[in-house]
Amino acid sequence: MQKRRFVVLCLTLLLVVASSVIALAADPGFVDGRFTTTRKITVEIYDRSNPGGSTPEDNFWTDFIKKGMLEKYNVEVTFKPVPRWTEVEVINNLLAAGDAPDICVTYSFPTIQTYANMGGVTDLAPYLEEYKELLPNLWDLLGDQNIYWNRDPETGTIWAIEALLFQNKRINTFVREDWLQKLGLEEPRTMEEFENMLRAFRDNAELLLGEDADKMVPFSISFDVGWRGDHVISAFVPNDMSDRDMWVYGFDDRHLLWPNYKEGVRKLNQWYNEGLVWKDFPLYGAGDRTEDNMIKAGYVGSFIHNWDYPYRDGQEGIHANLKNLVGEDAAFIAVECFPNDAGIYRKYLSAPVDRKVFFPATNKEPLASLLYLDFISDLETRRFLQIGEEGVHHEVLPDGAVQSLPVVGEKIMNSPQNIDYTITINGLDLGDPVLTARSVALNYAGVEARFIERAYEITSNEARYGINVQVGEIKAQEGMDTALAEKRNNLLAQAIVAKPEEFDAVWDRGFNDYLRSGGQAIIDERAQKYDAMYGN
Amino acid sequence: MIRSKRSKAADYAIALICVLLIIICLLPMLNVLARSLSSTEAIIRNEVLLWPKGFNFSAYRLVLTDSKYTWSLAWTAILTTICTVVSMVMTILCAYPLTYRQLKGRGFFNTMILFTMYFSAGTIPHYLLYKDLGLLNHPLVLIIPNSLSVFYMIIMRTFFYSIPDSLRESAEIDGAGPIKILTSIYLPLSKPVMATLALFYAVGRWNGFSDALMYMNDRKYHPIQLLLYNILNAVTSIEIQTQEGFASMPGLSDTIQAATVMFATVPILIVYPWLQKYFIAGATLGALKD
Amino acid sequence: MKPTFFLKRRSTINYLRKYWSLYLMLSIPIAYFIVFRYIPMTYIQIAFKRYSIVQSPWEMPWAGNNGFEYFIKAFQNLDFLYALKNTLLLNFLDLLIGFPAPIILALLLNELAFPRFKRFTQSVAYMPHFLSWIIIAGLAKQLLAPTTGLINVALNRLGLGPIPFLNDPTHWVFTYVFLGIWRNVGWNTIIYLAALTNINPELYEASAIDGANRWQNIWYITLPGLRPTIFTLLILSLGNILSSEFDRPFALSNPLVNSVSNVISIFVYRYGIRGLQFSLTTAVGLFQSVVCVIFLVAANALAKKFGERGIW
Repeated sequence: MQKRRFVVLCLTLLLVVASSVIALAADPGFVDGRFTTTRKITVEIYDRSNPGGSTPEDNFWTDFIKKGMLEKYNVEVTFKPVPRWTEVEVINNLLAAGDAPDICVTYSFPTIQTYANMGGVTDLAPYLEEYKELLPNLWDLLGDQNIYWNRDPETGTIWAIEALLFQNKRINTFVREDWLQKLGLEEPRTMEEFENMLRAFRDNAELLLGEDADKMVPFSISFDVGWRGDHVISAFVPNDMSDRDMWVYGFDDRHLLWPNYKEGVRKLNQWYNEGLVWKDFPLYGAGDRTEDNMIKAGYVGSFIHNWDYPYRDGQEGIHANLKNLVGEDAAFIAVECFPNDAGIYRKYLSAPVDRKVFFPATNKEPLASLLYLDFISDLETRRFLQIGEEGVHHEVLPDGAVQSLPVVGEKIMNSPQNIDYTITINGLDLGDPVLTARSVALNYAGVEARFIERAYEITSNEARYGINVQVGEIKAQEGMDTALAEKRNNLLAQAIVAKPEEFDAVWDRGFNDYLRSGGQAIIDERAQKYDAMYGN
Repeated sequence: MIRSKRSKAADYAIALICVLLIIICLLPMLNVLARSLSSTEAIIRNEVLLWPKGFNFSAYRLVLTDSKYTWSLAWTAILTTICTVVSMVMTILCAYPLTYRQLKGRGFFNTMILFTMYFSAGTIPHYLLYKDLGLLNHPLVLIIPNSLSVFYMIIMRTFFYSIPDSLRESAEIDGAGPIKILTSIYLPLSKPVMATLALFYAVGRWNGFSDALMYMNDRKYHPIQLLLYNILNAVTSIEIQTQEGFASMPGLSDTIQAATVMFATVPILIVYPWLQKYFIAGATLGALKD
Repeated sequence: MKPTFFLKRRSTINYLRKYWSLYLMLSIPIAYFIVFRYIPMTYIQIAFKRYSIVQSPWEMPWAGNNGFEYFIKAFQNLDFLYALKNTLLLNFLDLLIGFPAPIILALLLNELAFPRFKRFTQSVAYMPHFLSWIIIAGLAKQLLAPTTGLINVALNRLGLGPIPFLNDPTHWVFTYVFLGIWRNVGWNTIIYLAALTNINPELYEASAIDGANRWQNIWYITLPGLRPTIFTLLILSLGNILSSEFDRPFALSNPLVNSVSNVISIFVYRYGIRGLQFSLTTAVGLFQSVVCVIFLVAANALAKKFGERGIW
């Protein structure tokens, strides 16, 4: 009798234990789209320490996000601030200490690959697979393309997903409209016309600048030649460059290795030696204001830069300053004048990818983190983050377009359109493309719409976009980014200032150094892997 | 100081050299000062050299009314004072015993200490250590880790060596212990080197910001030079320029940058002239005669 | 046997009774060094290991080639060899020109006959030390740029042609050294001026009676009085012959002078820090440290030969 009761007791206990184990295992604590117990996650947020800015981890916007996440999913979000310009070093510290935020963001995939090789990154593939139905907004925004952009073809691992580059605009060529008028010139439409225009600027310095004639700079460029000379150099790249070449030789983000790049640089060298290019350009590093000030003061006739560069920064910007310091009609206008060998004004734009979002290995809440990404990709959420409150951050015009208003105080946006918070998208998106386009144009206070529309139209005209080739990790690229980028900048700057007869020698020396220092190894590995995957 | 027969010509030649020196040292400061008082247009036109153009105080008004800057300045002053005192105490505690030739283990201590001057392993191990000690984001992390500089300790010790042993020996005979000897003989005679090292430590702390950058997230404990660094560096990363091709926030204008430089620099500049009274010749050895 | 033993014990006790306070005083700094310097030093072993951000140094796997994989990698990298050469060159010039400069200035200031003027000069001379290199680089460009730099504009007007202070490698080296001196000479005189106060004024009185002139004073009294300080600082400077500051070359460099401006600190920044190659960074740092210590020991031994006390 005793024995039987004892056995029954044991069996009951066993049953209870077993069922609770099964119950716990089967139930992730996620019921009806919410967690049953509050989960906590941390998210990286850039701290730009801009004067007048709000505390990045605790302000009007973080309150909005935290409230939303708590109500919708029962997830408590904390933001971890990371200084913007020492981001890499600080993330290194955090990863080493196991303190990294659950969701991290970076611009460089090789960095993530390096961390992953050390075992510091969570593979997203299984979670994306399992929870796909719970992430409709993420998929709506990013689509299979961006989510699987970094999927390794062999192992299937996904170390990071790609945010969407919504406003895919890159570079424009700008020319002084008033100077063209003064000299009776038409807007240039070919390389030759542009060159003649530069010569006209140079030769008519007194007419255009009066007593500041010696400060004339027909064409301005910076040490970052690959960016600031892009349209000129790209015109020399053959139109029929194959996708393979574009990818294999495209790991340098200024495209140094693309076919015929050298001749584009030679053209700049020729201009420099004719006195058409700003003589001191290599001296001034990133962020130095000397060139900007020169442009604002009205001494510069033309330059190539980010697609909307003269129109940015409102009162501090080039457009406003030209009006102030030179005259009401002084303005830069975007032009299209460098056709390639097929006569097309080709613009090489980036693939629609932007920042990479990854979860360090210390992330214990992958579902909660993915739900965060979904939340932040929801159109309503990101619309609010990008344009803010009506009447405070923007006003709605009769046609539905949105005009942004300047804001100071606690509701200020620390980054344009709160890009630091909308980590899955870069660029204004109101849902309706027409309204969005119109609103983008309205974002430039004090600038007439025609300038923006022109710039907007030209910068992506005849665009060729970057493609995604996923062949797995390229080992030769690990840790080489910064070093090769420096070599590239040095090579380009030295090549331009060289005497014409020395150009080839200087170019070859620098270029060979680039290849020998790791460039060739990267090319070879990329070529080999590409051919293995796609045949030749 | 009593001088021998001197030639007036040499005097004036030396004075001339000093005048030239003053000019080349003062001019850059004048340039920054001028920029801080000029209008933005004048700076854009590159017209400002040594004298402000478009004179206005708006930059200073902005900086002085922003509590972030004034608070940081006050905090940096407090921090510098604390650190200087702590550092001087540590340095004395380290240098003084090592001047005793008869101290057993002296060679070992010497080697052990000098070794640390050259071998260190970067920010990650320090970050982990401070984390384990609970120092991260605590104001002590700005005070303790860099409180003792081996370089300065060696300098202090060199000065201690120059105080004659006879003084110490006679004090020992009178029954004084090492602590008494330190306070009654060595410290009073070392005023110049104390002033010098106090200045070095103070300036080092005032100008330093890399530890706050890495280990101190709490903004209210950021020293003023870190604020300045953020302002000056707002757009200097080429990667940021490429990555963030969008309409950027305008960086601070040149005038405000210059005003912040003055704001962060002038307070510490006035410490040295104040300390100069300790650099009086004969004050040390003169006392020996008594 | 017994008497000696007791004598020794008694002398030990006496010694401790006399000097216990010294050990007490030393205990705090020593504790500091152990905690804040020696404990992090265990990380130096990653120079010989394959770094992993999630493992402790003791767990990381050993690097190839008996742990010397990263040292070999550094030396096989041409950029590193150039960085090595540039570091040595720039440091050597800094030492050659920049070491005597504050001494000479201190002597000059000492000879200055007008005390108020002397104090003013001292206060002004040390001002440049407070400007960060970013600011100084900006000012230097304003002055020395080839076409718009003020000095070159003036030279042009005089017909002397622009001098490529910043954009030609050879000129850049001298600009670099000169700017370093300009920034630090006033500051570095402080310590010599402090040392000068230690010189017994009676010596000067005596020499005045003997009718010595200014130069004899300097040679026979002042300089010897400064000797210990000079030697100490010289030894420490030589011990820094392979160290590499970051701010100065980084702020002053530009793409045209990279053949001379790339120093070890910049190499480490590019490859090691930005390239996330921690083991490489540590290996290079270790190499620098070892070389510096060798120089330090050699310089110290040499100083002792000259009859100086040295650092040890």
